[in-house]
Amino acid sequence: MALTPTPWHTIGPFFPRSFFREGDNDLTRGTALGQRVLIRGRVLEQGGGPCVNAVLEAWQADAAGRFGHALDPCAEAADPGFLGWGRAWTDAEGQYAFHTVMPGGYVDPAGPRAPHVNLTVLGSGIMGRLVTTIFFPGQAANAADPVLCSLPPALRARLVAAPDGIENGIPAFRFDLLLHGPPEAETPFFED
Amino acid sequence: MASDAPPDRFDPLPPDAQPRVPIGGYPNTLRRNPSQPAFRRPLTRTELTGPPDLGPRLQPGDSDLARLAPGRIALGQLIHVGGRVVDEDGRPVRGAVVELWQANAAGRYLNPLDQRDAPLDPDFIGSGRTRTDAEGRYAFFTIKPGAYPVPNSGRWWRPPHIHISVLGPSCLSRLVTQMYFPGDPLNAHDRLLNSVADPAARDSLVARQVPPAEVAGDWLGFTHDLVLRGRRATPVLP
Repeated sequence: MALTPTPWHTIGPFFPRSFFREGDNDLTRGTALGQRVLIRGRVLEQGGGPCVNAVLEAWQADAAGRFGHALDPCAEAADPGFLGWGRAWTDAEGQYAFHTVMPGGYVDPAGPRAPHVNLTVLGSGIMGRLVTTIFFPGQAANAADPVLCSLPPALRARLVAAPDGIENGIPAFRFDLLLHGPPEAETPFFED
Repeated sequence: MASDAPPDRFDPLPPDAQPRVPIGGYPNTLRRNPSQPAFRRPLTRTELTGPPDLGPRLQPGDSDLARLAPGRIALGQLIHVGGRVVDEDGRPVRGAVVELWQANAAGRYLNPLDQRDAPLDPDFIGSGRTRTDAEGRYAFFTIKPGAYPVPNSGRWWRPPHIHISVLGPSCLSRLVTQMYFPGDPLNAHDRLLNSVADPAARDSLVARQVPPAEVAGDWLGFTHDLVLRGRRATPVLP
């Protein structure tokens, strides 16, 4: 007989700024292997206005597609310079940014996973959490990714970040989120 | 090591035991929640895992919110809040990061976004972070927060509550919740608490008061256990 998980609630409007330190939005530990990338974008609410004070949490594999976690058979080979997790919050314009490395793909029993970043969105009024996945443009592996392919074909491009130039020598990608809107414009989210 | 193995089975959250949105008087529950149902995805390694050691990144700060410094004690009823963090199998979750934040005794947050005309307490910051011990236990000293009215909501008052965020062994075991106080008359009217349909699940959000005779110090004690999502696909017998 399993226990029932404690119900979720919103973070509300007053998640403490003091919980954030400089560098919390950097998924590396400073010395990660791989190609550094910048992921940035805006979180928008119904009507297209900025979703201020959203908290975003990112989790991804290292550059070789490994996780330093007991459920990864390759955990011991995971890059010790890479944490894989970061947290960011949106400013008055709804903007966020993560500093990371291009994740590697890996082979999973469910299928070959393309390079991707798992994203959690928390915010005032979001009573659970919203979960989605960021994919990268120009990756041949996107076509067979079992998570991306669980979306209707017309929506898959919505989870692929857009090239967004070079920032201080680092390739940048843009991933905007619309939390509530017309079905064709709203960001697809996954069951938690 | 088997008993320390992280959960690898994550069943869907039971909908009746989770909040329903939108919530009247809280427009952000409409503006910021999707109009479309969430898509079902396979759970692969990336979804089942999570950062195993967030300690260096989210450093435990002070778990004593009531005493800012020697001689500087927050206004309000001193309380101790503690409990166990377990998974759905009831196994303790060790080393989980537990973050807590709350309003002061007058119902005001030390946050630039809270501009309500209620006093700030110079001796109360109202946020802290700790980690669970080997038995999955966490604890904070703090003060009982005050109730406050929600602006433009038609006289809806939030009952005294404490925000709790837990980062456990998997991204799927993430939990952000709120803890309520037993016996508060505002609980029955709170639109967030009552957005959870299942009475037992709702009740699990309300702390239990420790009988005062069992509390050694000059504070009231509350226990509040938290159940993170996740089981083990193949249970290991002790």
